[in-house]
Amino acid sequence: MPSEYEALVAALKLTSIPFAEYGWKTRPEGAYGVVQLDFEAGSLNGDGAKADRAWEGSVDLFYPKLSDRTDLIDEVEETLAEVVGDSWSLNSTQYETGTGLFHVEWVFQCMDTPEDEPEVIPDAVPDEG
Amino acid sequence: MPYQMKVDGMAEISELLEKMDKEAPGIAAQALYEGAGIMSAEIRKGAETIRTAPFKYAREGERLPSPEEKEIILQAGAGIAKFDKGGTEVNTSVGYRASGYADLNGKTKPIPLIVNAVNSGTSFMKKQPFIRKAANSGSPKAMAAMKAKIEKAFEDMNK
Repeated sequence: MPSEYEALVAALKLTSIPFAEYGWKTRPEGAYGVVQLDFEAGSLNGDGAKADRAWEGSVDLFYPKLSDRTDLIDEVEETLAEVVGDSWSLNSTQYETGTGLFHVEWVFQCMDTPEDEPEVIPDAVPDEG
Repeated sequence: MPYQMKVDGMAEISELLEKMDKEAPGIAAQALYEGAGIMSAEIRKGAETIRTAPFKYAREGERLPSPEEKEIILQAGAGIAKFDKGGTEVNTSVGYRASGYADLNGKTKPIPLIVNAVNSGTSFMKKQPFIRKAANSGSPKAMAAMKAKIEKAFEDMNK
């Protein structure tokens, strides 16, 4: 799992909306969200290996009351901006006639960012002579 | 004594530029048609990978699309919209927007809604983003093909 995705899931679970990964077994009452990774979006290759891999994933928000709209959407968008920066976009908004739920879908791209290793400064070599 | 410079062939160059101006929109449209065809094929390839399960009502949790729904998507195919030629660009879109209607379980349903439910998911259907995936992997191929087509057309013109 890319570290940015894990951070995003953790951040989304801290919001007031109940979030689950890859769907719910039992749908909660009221508004709820789903977050998942969809596929690999691309990678930069170097030295015969994948140097930087990017994944594309999506965040889905379902809510039954139109009046909740701005608060919930703001909450998700702020979380996305906080974790993945500017690599996300609103993909679609839909309405389900059968269940009366509003459905908003965001797409984001995330990378595996390893924790910064402390830079090792080599010991200064004393001048000879 | 002042230096003198002489350039030959200005008439030919101006003729070529005029010809380019006239033929460029046609060449762009041809290339775009090629690229759109590649994207359409790529989306179809994606539609073939949709996972299905026999139809059941999902009261809790999520269901997969039924084989009938997949068949409708495959039959419809991603269409190419009418080319929008405005000013210096040619635009089109590939998708299911104008795919019409299909009979599903005795009811007539719009195909774009079925595709949307499979592609984006709903509260009761698992999402399988085959169009987004096709757009992601197919656009470099389509762009390469379009570039080759345009370059070939200009080479032929210069002969």
